[in-house]
Amino acid sequence: MTDSKYFTTTKKGEIFELKAELNSDKKEKKKEAVKKVIASMTVGKDVSALFPDVVNCMQTDNLELKKLVYLYLMNYAKSQPDMAIMAVNTFVKDCEDLNPLIRALAVRTMGCIRVDKITEYLCEPLRKCLKDEDPYVRKTAAVCVAKLHDINAQLVEDQGFLDTLKDLISDSNPMVVANAVAALSEIAESHPNSNLLDLNPQTINKLLTALNECTEWGQIFILDCLANYSPRDDRESQSICERVTPRLSHANSAVVLSAVKVLMKFMEMLPKDLDYYGTLLKKLAPPLVTLLSAEPELQYVALRNINLIVQRRPEILKHEMKVFFVKYNDPIYVKLEKLDIMIRLASQANIAQVLAELKEYATEVDVDFVRKAVRAIGRCAIKVEQSAERCVSTLLDLIQTKVNYVVQEAIVVIKDIFRKYPNKYESVIATLCEHLESLDEPEARAAMIWIVGEYAERIDNADELLESFLEGFHDESTQVQLQLLTAIVKLFLKKPTETQELVQQVLSLATQDSDNPDLRDRGYIYWRLLSTDPVAAKEVVLAEKPLISEETDLIEPTLLEELICHIGTLASVYHKPPSAFVEGSRGVQHKRLTSSAGSGESVESPDTGSAAVSEAPPTVIPSQGDLLGDLLNLDLTPPTSTGPPPTTAPGMQLGAMDLLGGGLDSLLGGDIGGSPAMGTGFGAPPAAMPASFNAPISGGLDDLFDLGGGGGLTMGTYIPPKSVWLPAMKAKGLEISGTFVRRSGVIQMEMTLNNKAMSVMSDFAIQFNRNSFGLAPAGPLQILTPISPNQSIEAALPLSTVGPVMKMEPLNNLQVAVKNNIDVFYFSCQYPISMLFLEDGKMERQVFLATWKDIPNENESQFQIKDCHLNSDAASNKLQGSNIFTIAKRTVEGQDMLYQSMKLTNGIWVLAELRVQAGNPNYTISLKCRAPEVSQCVFQNYETVLKN
Amino acid sequence: MISQLFILSSKGDNLIYKDSSVRGEAGSDVINVFYEKVTALPGDQPPVVMNHGDLHFVHVRQGGLYWVATTTADSSPFSIIEFLNRLASLVKDYCGDLTEKAVQMNFALIYELLDEVVDYGYVQSMSSDVLKNFIQTEAVSPRPFSLFQLSNVGLFGAETQQSKVAPSSAASRPIQSSREQGGKSEIFVDVIERMSVVIGSNGVLMKADVEGEIKVKCYMPNCSEMRIGLNEEFSIGKSQLRGYGAAVRVDEVSFHQAVKLDEFDSSRILRLSPSQGEQTVMQYQLSDVLPSAPPFRLFPTIERDSGGKLLMYLKLRCDLPPKSAAINLCASIPVPKGSVSMSLELSSPDQSAELKLQSRSIEWTIPRFPGGTQLSALFKVEVPGLSPSSLMEVGPMVLNFELPKLTVSGLQVRFLRLSPVQPGPAQRWVRYVTHSDSYILRI
Repeated sequence: MTDSKYFTTTKKGEIFELKAELNSDKKEKKKEAVKKVIASMTVGKDVSALFPDVVNCMQTDNLELKKLVYLYLMNYAKSQPDMAIMAVNTFVKDCEDLNPLIRALAVRTMGCIRVDKITEYLCEPLRKCLKDEDPYVRKTAAVCVAKLHDINAQLVEDQGFLDTLKDLISDSNPMVVANAVAALSEIAESHPNSNLLDLNPQTINKLLTALNECTEWGQIFILDCLANYSPRDDRESQSICERVTPRLSHANSAVVLSAVKVLMKFMEMLPKDLDYYGTLLKKLAPPLVTLLSAEPELQYVALRNINLIVQRRPEILKHEMKVFFVKYNDPIYVKLEKLDIMIRLASQANIAQVLAELKEYATEVDVDFVRKAVRAIGRCAIKVEQSAERCVSTLLDLIQTKVNYVVQEAIVVIKDIFRKYPNKYESVIATLCEHLESLDEPEARAAMIWIVGEYAERIDNADELLESFLEGFHDESTQVQLQLLTAIVKLFLKKPTETQELVQQVLSLATQDSDNPDLRDRGYIYWRLLSTDPVAAKEVVLAEKPLISEETDLIEPTLLEELICHIGTLASVYHKPPSAFVEGSRGVQHKRLTSSAGSGESVESPDTGSAAVSEAPPTVIPSQGDLLGDLLNLDLTPPTSTGPPPTTAPGMQLGAMDLLGGGLDSLLGGDIGGSPAMGTGFGAPPAAMPASFNAPISGGLDDLFDLGGGGGLTMGTYIPPKSVWLPAMKAKGLEISGTFVRRSGVIQMEMTLNNKAMSVMSDFAIQFNRNSFGLAPAGPLQILTPISPNQSIEAALPLSTVGPVMKMEPLNNLQVAVKNNIDVFYFSCQYPISMLFLEDGKMERQVFLATWKDIPNENESQFQIKDCHLNSDAASNKLQGSNIFTIAKRTVEGQDMLYQSMKLTNGIWVLAELRVQAGNPNYTISLKCRAPEVSQCVFQNYETVLKN
Repeated sequence: MISQLFILSSKGDNLIYKDSSVRGEAGSDVINVFYEKVTALPGDQPPVVMNHGDLHFVHVRQGGLYWVATTTADSSPFSIIEFLNRLASLVKDYCGDLTEKAVQMNFALIYELLDEVVDYGYVQSMSSDVLKNFIQTEAVSPRPFSLFQLSNVGLFGAETQQSKVAPSSAASRPIQSSREQGGKSEIFVDVIERMSVVIGSNGVLMKADVEGEIKVKCYMPNCSEMRIGLNEEFSIGKSQLRGYGAAVRVDEVSFHQAVKLDEFDSSRILRLSPSQGEQTVMQYQLSDVLPSAPPFRLFPTIERDSGGKLLMYLKLRCDLPPKSAAINLCASIPVPKGSVSMSLELSSPDQSAELKLQSRSIEWTIPRFPGGTQLSALFKVEVPGLSPSSLMEVGPMVLNFELPKLTVSGLQVRFLRLSPVQPGPAQRWVRYVTHSDSYILRI
């Protein structure tokens, strides 16, 4: 008799028949009946009506039957909670059975029944089972705590199960330890703040000991748990590494990868000159290579992880290039992944080998793979300069095959090679031109057109070639149209005499006959440029282009760091951080690598998606006059001296991004959401910089000045005089005047509050609207005593720069709301941008040079500062007081050029070139910044600092 | 952490479904979601991990079935894949076979297994030794009763010639029946190697890797310990050479957790107490250096004859020791696009060759290829408009073959000792085989 018959009973009255069988006296018959019920359940039939009958079978000493009944119960208890209560007594009884298998079975099943009423009964038996003499029962009970926690967390805490669970970490049985660790890790994830899994050297030691004895699955839990620990120093991390290393030769690849994760993470702590560091690097390679001999599914997952590891530490696998050579029978997704890694590992030492392989791949049958292989050859050329020539000749060979898609891919990558090595390989253009007709893919056509335009002066029939494309202009894709437009304009600028007609044709096609705004706008720009100033047009269109970067497809470093912490998890397969795909924010922690140079902070405060949302209206406030109505619903904090800070900051993730124009993105820096600075909180001002930090690094004169500077205020810092921000007549007698000052790295808003009314003022509070740099009060406004009539009081408010961000006009505008017992008042003021210049804004010379070159010229702006009579040294000193640092000085023909840098609180660098000519009171200043919007403000700041 | 587990037939029918964590969430429509996703997947998309909203599917295919696990959190796909593979082999051990029918017939047993193997999504233990203490349900063997099978068992107790040779199906039966029904005591030790080789067009060996494993399949209920002796000159790593002569060397070795290695360093003996069923005792790799010449070499001449045809004269030499032979050799050579037809001459009658237009290649099959011999073939392929550059499209030649009774690494099992000494006729089988994984001869 076989079980398959269970699946075939679909007759009427089936439930009735089953009922009868379930109530039979014969054990065998009962068992068969329960099996039938479960079979129906599996295929999705509703057999919940049989609940009481099945529960009746529960009281049996036949273990097999009991297991079947429990299986049924788990499935239906949720939909039939009242019925489930019927089973409780049996559960409780079974928890005290002599047979440990039955005890465990009962505990396991009870935990799976998510019915509140049952959980109440569960506590006592669970407590007993956690201390059971049989490890099988204990390990089951440990998991049950996690189950119960998911149903009713409070209950678990109240009953003290968590402490028992912690004790189980030191259990004598490794299975129990493993389950206890797993349960604790999961519970800890849902309570990121509790230090449930309090990892200290003692517990780590326990875990490491358990590691040696656990089952392989337990080892995975333990290793994953270890990975969350931050060792105190390099010695500790070395000793953990030493004890984890043996796991690398485990047969279970999940164990291996978890061990790799721990090692990769702790390696960051080790100094690189340590012998052990080198040894560890060597030990990591073989297990990674071994992973590649597994099934294709595992291989793929392994390759995705290796891809990350190779980007972080290419040295581990630099000698293992051969293992990434593709096998003809690899599935395509494995092949593509291997190809990617091959290029990442390519270096001068192995490039010949790699190229030979790639050339073979390029003649294979699989189209996708061939395309990727051809692209890979191009990437090699760009990555390894020495190989460029060989790559180009390989590509030419491939073009000779005349296989259509190979030719097209080859042309696309040759374009990139031209962009990396201009004026080096034009000799191949003739060959490329032969294949013009066979190009039918937009990307290839666009690439070819770009090449023709770029090298128009060396291609005799460039005009004919481009003209041939022009015939079908409207059928081309946008990409090709844009490229064609640019290429013809280039051609015209190079050979104006013969091509006038052509350029007119393309301009009219682009501007008059096209609906595409991109194309039309570009057309108009060229047209106007050409018609107003052909020389300028030449400078613009034929300007020297920046070389394309070596590795365009690297994963961004911070993401890479986070992904390294997630080696062996889904995140490492998707190459996305877990927050991008794990539901909600529950248990998602941003992880960062701790480096040996870094401070203690390794795990950032979790992005809890705080419920506190700014109540400030997310609209841009048009003018001061309308301010009142819009801001009236501002919720101001009560004037308690120790009360909670205003609720502005946590809401910053909300609307800020949407409100920003595209150009402003760069202003925001990388830290907008969940930045580390968040952790500093608002109660305390940011840690004060040591005063000496401000000391100028060069120049004897400066030192002298600096000696005079006291009170934490660097000599020479320009503090604008207080100005009236809120006139008394607008604010029912309250007059506020103030200024901004930066002292020891802390921005302060210094105010004088003057009571010109007839009554006492008290209960002051302050709040800012969103602003360009996220300025926000770092604490409540400290005005402890009420201000009596005609009294004025000084108040200093420390500011932080982690508030919500919104672009303001002008950029340094700040809208403030002040509340007192009378009313709420609004004013706006402008802060000098130098408040935001950081003390560490001095750039390295080399970095300065590179950055200056790197920032495109269109981001440069020039200003004149008139009537300034300082010499260059004095100017430099003065500016240094405002954290504008002079990096180098050059004198050319009596003109002093000062190269200066400053860094804004949001991480934006501004570079400046200040020209001072002896005897000429007019300075010229050029500012370069990736966010050119700030230039105007910075210039104004220069002017005020230099003139005061 | 595993949320749900299910086994689907190749047609998408639900065979086993378990919400292993009972975390409540998604209902059983995940099965349909999964099946739709996996069948709609384009060829170049990696099928391994797929997501549907917050749910992530990880699956493997074994025995024509989909073994699927879902997970919601950022868990390790490695452990899940590894788990699914183990689960499949565990089911195979318990049910004797891995087919839709076997799974269907033994659903109660599989549910019971799952109950022990995962609790709340945490993998517990997958060792059949541990599990045998808990599992109550008997396996039902799907094998139909047949006379043919009876003859294998030795009719009337006679030791027939047939039973001396382990039939290939002997190793696929439920492990539990041996315990209960006192089935034949048998143990199989298989040394299986897969080689991937690339030989350049100039005849230089560009890459040679061997991946090997020793598998033990045990049907001996009361065998407490077994010792497997490997070649004494077996060495690991590049530096560690023992003695002179033909050392058997591998780069990397990993062992099953149950293997005790106290005698390994001194005398290359693996000690283990075998679990019932199949387990991989040792895995090893060898790269770049083969102890002997690669088994096959190709001497091609490719040209364009005066009539515009593609002429391929291929000489294939087998460098195996004379007593060995390769079997089921199949060579495939890509030909230029636009090839229409082919005429051929082969050096012996048992070979055959065919032009497959669909895959644009010639398939040349050789049923048996003894060591030290050489075969040749002349293919004339009609390619209209054959250009000199089309010749680049010829090749590389890919070989598929099997080398029975041979390990390319040279690894041998010296002895196999069981203790306590088995009463009665215990049967011990040691089998060797090498497969081609990826054997490429560039032209």
